[in-house]
Amino acid sequence: MKPPLPVRLWQWFEQTTPGRAIFRVGVPRSNLARAQAMVSSFLLHLQPAKVQKRTLQPATTLGLGLISLFLFAILTVTGVLLMFYYVPSTERAYNGMKDLEFVVSAGLLIRNMHRWSAHLMVLAVILHLCRVFYTGAYKRPREFNWLLGVGLFLLTLGLSFTGYLLPWDQLAFWAITVGTNIASYAPVVGPKLKYLLLGGNVVGQEALIRFYALHVIVLPAVAGFMIAVHIWRVRKDGGLARPDEPLEAVEQLDAGQLPTNKSYGLMELAKGTSPQVGVDPEDLVSSWPHLLFRELLVFLAVLALVLSLAVFWDAPLEQFANPIHPPNPAKAPWYFLGLQELVSYSAFWGGVVVPGLLVALLALLPFFDRGRAGVGRWFARERAVANTIFSVCLLVMVVLTIIGTVFRGPNWSWQVPWKEPPAAREEH
Amino acid sequence: MNPPTPNSDVTRRGFIALACGWTAGAFAGLAAGIGAVRFLVPNVLYEPDQRFKAGRPEDYPDGAITFLEDQRVFLIRRGNTFRCLSSTCTHLGCTVNHSGEGFHCPCHGSTFDSQGKVTSGPAPRALTWYLVTLSKDERLLVDKGQPVESDKYLVV
Amino acid sequence: MPDESPRKFYGLFIVLGLLVSVLVVLGYYKDQFRDWKTYQHQFVKEEVRRATTPQQRLLAESTPVQIRQIVLPDLNRVDRCTTCHIASEDPSYGGYPQPLAYHPHHDQHPFDKFGCTVCHRGQGRATTTAAAHGHAEHWDEPMLPLRYIQASCGQCHQAADNPAAPKLARGEQVFETNGCRGCHKLGGTGGLIGPELDTVGARRTPDWLRKHFTDPASVTPGSGMPPQKLSEPDLEAITLFMLSQTGGGLPGYYASMKVIPSATEGRKLFEQKGCIGCHSIANRGGKIGPALDDVSLRRSPDWIMRHFRDPQSVTPGSVMPKFGFSENQTRALTEFLLHLRDQQVSLSLPGMISPVERGREVFRKYGCIGCHGPEGKGGVPNPNAKTAEQVPGLQHVADGYTKDELKILLLRGQKEIAPLDPHRPPPPLYMPPWRGVIQEGELDDLAAYVFSLSTKDKDLGF
Repeated sequence: MKPPLPVRLWQWFEQTTPGRAIFRVGVPRSNLARAQAMVSSFLLHLQPAKVQKRTLQPATTLGLGLISLFLFAILTVTGVLLMFYYVPSTERAYNGMKDLEFVVSAGLLIRNMHRWSAHLMVLAVILHLCRVFYTGAYKRPREFNWLLGVGLFLLTLGLSFTGYLLPWDQLAFWAITVGTNIASYAPVVGPKLKYLLLGGNVVGQEALIRFYALHVIVLPAVAGFMIAVHIWRVRKDGGLARPDEPLEAVEQLDAGQLPTNKSYGLMELAKGTSPQVGVDPEDLVSSWPHLLFRELLVFLAVLALVLSLAVFWDAPLEQFANPIHPPNPAKAPWYFLGLQELVSYSAFWGGVVVPGLLVALLALLPFFDRGRAGVGRWFARERAVANTIFSVCLLVMVVLTIIGTVFRGPNWSWQVPWKEPPAAREEH
Repeated sequence: MNPPTPNSDVTRRGFIALACGWTAGAFAGLAAGIGAVRFLVPNVLYEPDQRFKAGRPEDYPDGAITFLEDQRVFLIRRGNTFRCLSSTCTHLGCTVNHSGEGFHCPCHGSTFDSQGKVTSGPAPRALTWYLVTLSKDERLLVDKGQPVESDKYLVV
Repeated sequence: MPDESPRKFYGLFIVLGLLVSVLVVLGYYKDQFRDWKTYQHQFVKEEVRRATTPQQRLLAESTPVQIRQIVLPDLNRVDRCTTCHIASEDPSYGGYPQPLAYHPHHDQHPFDKFGCTVCHRGQGRATTTAAAHGHAEHWDEPMLPLRYIQASCGQCHQAADNPAAPKLARGEQVFETNGCRGCHKLGGTGGLIGPELDTVGARRTPDWLRKHFTDPASVTPGSGMPPQKLSEPDLEAITLFMLSQTGGGLPGYYASMKVIPSATEGRKLFEQKGCIGCHSIANRGGKIGPALDDVSLRRSPDWIMRHFRDPQSVTPGSVMPKFGFSENQTRALTEFLLHLRDQQVSLSLPGMISPVERGREVFRKYGCIGCHGPEGKGGVPNPNAKTAEQVPGLQHVADGYTKDELKILLLRGQKEIAPLDPHRPPPPLYMPPWRGVIQEGELDDLAAYVFSLSTKDKDLGF
């Protein structure tokens, strides 16, 4: 049977000089070509030419890292578009938001996409971190990648936080005021950090331009680079973490002993539990098309989710920022509300000790939790202690965040969300 | 044509499914692309209006060539006639200066006579004249969207 | 490799692809379908219907359907109201239903200089009906109901001065005669018991204000403000006057338009500031300063203006105090003096001369009436006050105080009011300290007036 016309057209195009120049190998039809397609492409070569079959199982990772990556991509594209209309000036920023809503074609939709993607990305990154912990995937040789991941988690929070100020409405102004004050509780450097971040003592024009510069170039550039390294390290550290194989073979391996019956070359030489080592070739499948097609599906799903949020729910925009009248209560962005709740008990413990300790624990985790038991399995029995400690910390943070988000009313007093709050007394 | 073998039937169905998916994807991508372009086309402008009021006729002394900075045009009164000349050089868009009888462009040395005609330099065309009318409240009304011949003027 | 083949996901692929496509189309539809387009199409249709010649028809058909806006950089406003109200400047659309109706009476305030929202409020940048009319969440400036529109005049024009805004003038009168200033500061003068009112018009809705006058506690729990018994027109007028207090200083071009100082305004000031105590007009008044009947012949307007700003600068050794008039007040007073000769000066001057009469004016000016009632008869409720839960009347002041003691009391105020029942909240109304507010001369007059209220002492002469 002859292939249908579009396919024939494509095949013809691949044979032409420009087609060959662009695609080199064309749509691959042999295993060799599939491997080449992955290796010879700038974007694809961050991933291996072949992957474990279990990598393709959704339950292995839930695709959370990939989802975070796609959200980052959506944020970059929509963010660049928004930059065409945004002016980082206290006088014009808010008007820019109104113009996006009322005048610019698809302006509101793109702002909505950006806003919801940002929230989703914070969520996805947190879940990704949990996944890596619960599967013990931070252990040797992936300690460095775990560190990168913790860094990326903080960067994601930083990106979301700096973006929060830009609309210059009441929500933005007071969330940043509260957020930077939480930062100022840090020992020694806290007040200086706040001063540096705001470019002064109060949230004003200087703070806006600083947050803007951080948000649109500094943090995205650093994050983009770290994401690239993070993904590349996944491959270099031997693909996804999985239960240990005997390690002796790996340690003693040198180039001369590599199997020679493979036609796709030396692409997977890596330390540790490489997919190439000690594994039956039958466990491997070509990344093209198996991995790539699944990634495409994840991308479509993420896009569909973001679009449906953006089409049906508008991003919040409150009144123009007014330094005289804070909303009551003034709340930080939701991912900091756990901290704000803690700070409401004790500035020192909530603003300094707990977050500092948590981040330090996260960063150093792979260096003191060195046992190799339970790597690559969800909730491994051998890791019960670690998992319990982590779960308790996580649960506490989640509960605190929920309390800060819905159970805190005017003056940070306890409020039950399904009851009418007591009428706020008029200020005289 | 032979009836398709079961195997090729699977392939064909797979192909149709794939084609549907890709078509939908391509449509969405195209729509998003158009949307992005449309997003960038401004729907409102904050620049000065192309049609503007230039005050009362008696604000301009007889014989004066007045440069209106906001709009970058010369308003020229001769007796009871009014005309409006663009100050934008037809070469590469610099603002020409009024000097002596004519106009000259500081960027690449084009010169124009009092009628806006090119007398020297690289400018390809004469300076543009704009339509001047009188509004209902007796103000001069210039329309930069309507170029006119150099011999058309408003008589007050 | 049948198990890993992507083929089993083809269905999901189609579904997701279609879902994304549908969402994109939906987003596009929501973005493109706007009410203002409908209205503009209606307008074009009407223009086409009216066209009599083919040229007119062509012109009408080529009317662009687009967002229209008036950019007002000085006011930091962009008004897109004309996007829907597209015929608002065309008199031939008089009587058409909204949004296509013509807007009459705007010759003094051309749209291209004033826009719409500066008078009507609402959200100028919005292009959807609810948001533009300001009935949207997170927008604090809803459209002003038309019956209160005169409040907008008061943002720029003095209330008493504006024949086009009679309701505004009435509102100001209600404010001044009902003693609101006793508790509330407005324009720098007034008591401290209630909040300042300089920006109240920007913060409150008409409904809130109306309720607040008739039953203050219903909108401000715990408010000690006595309910006001006002006739319906007075209630509307005072609400409107409050709405005019937006506190917005207008910049540039608009400030230059603010208040054409009139002799009427100047005369009012002349009376209020007690000029007649030192100067005389038509042989009435004090003899300390020169008579003013022919001042317009003797002095240039410029001299008079400078004199008001700083008397010593043009008359060294003058004992006249620097009153600190605003520029507009200076111009208004000058206008009054310059036109003295043209006017029938029938000032209520004779009555103003006696200290008691001046004191009554002081009593009115600082809003004492708000708590102590007209003619100091009292009767204003002050819950839980020992004095019959009312602010005491002033008829018996002369029995218990000397004038000097009264003056000290006026200056110091009395923060603690003895409660009837110590377990209930303390009485909300109290006597504010008036030091620095009521001037020295005024204090004597006020004391004289209060003593004149005494039921026993009928001697008004002093």
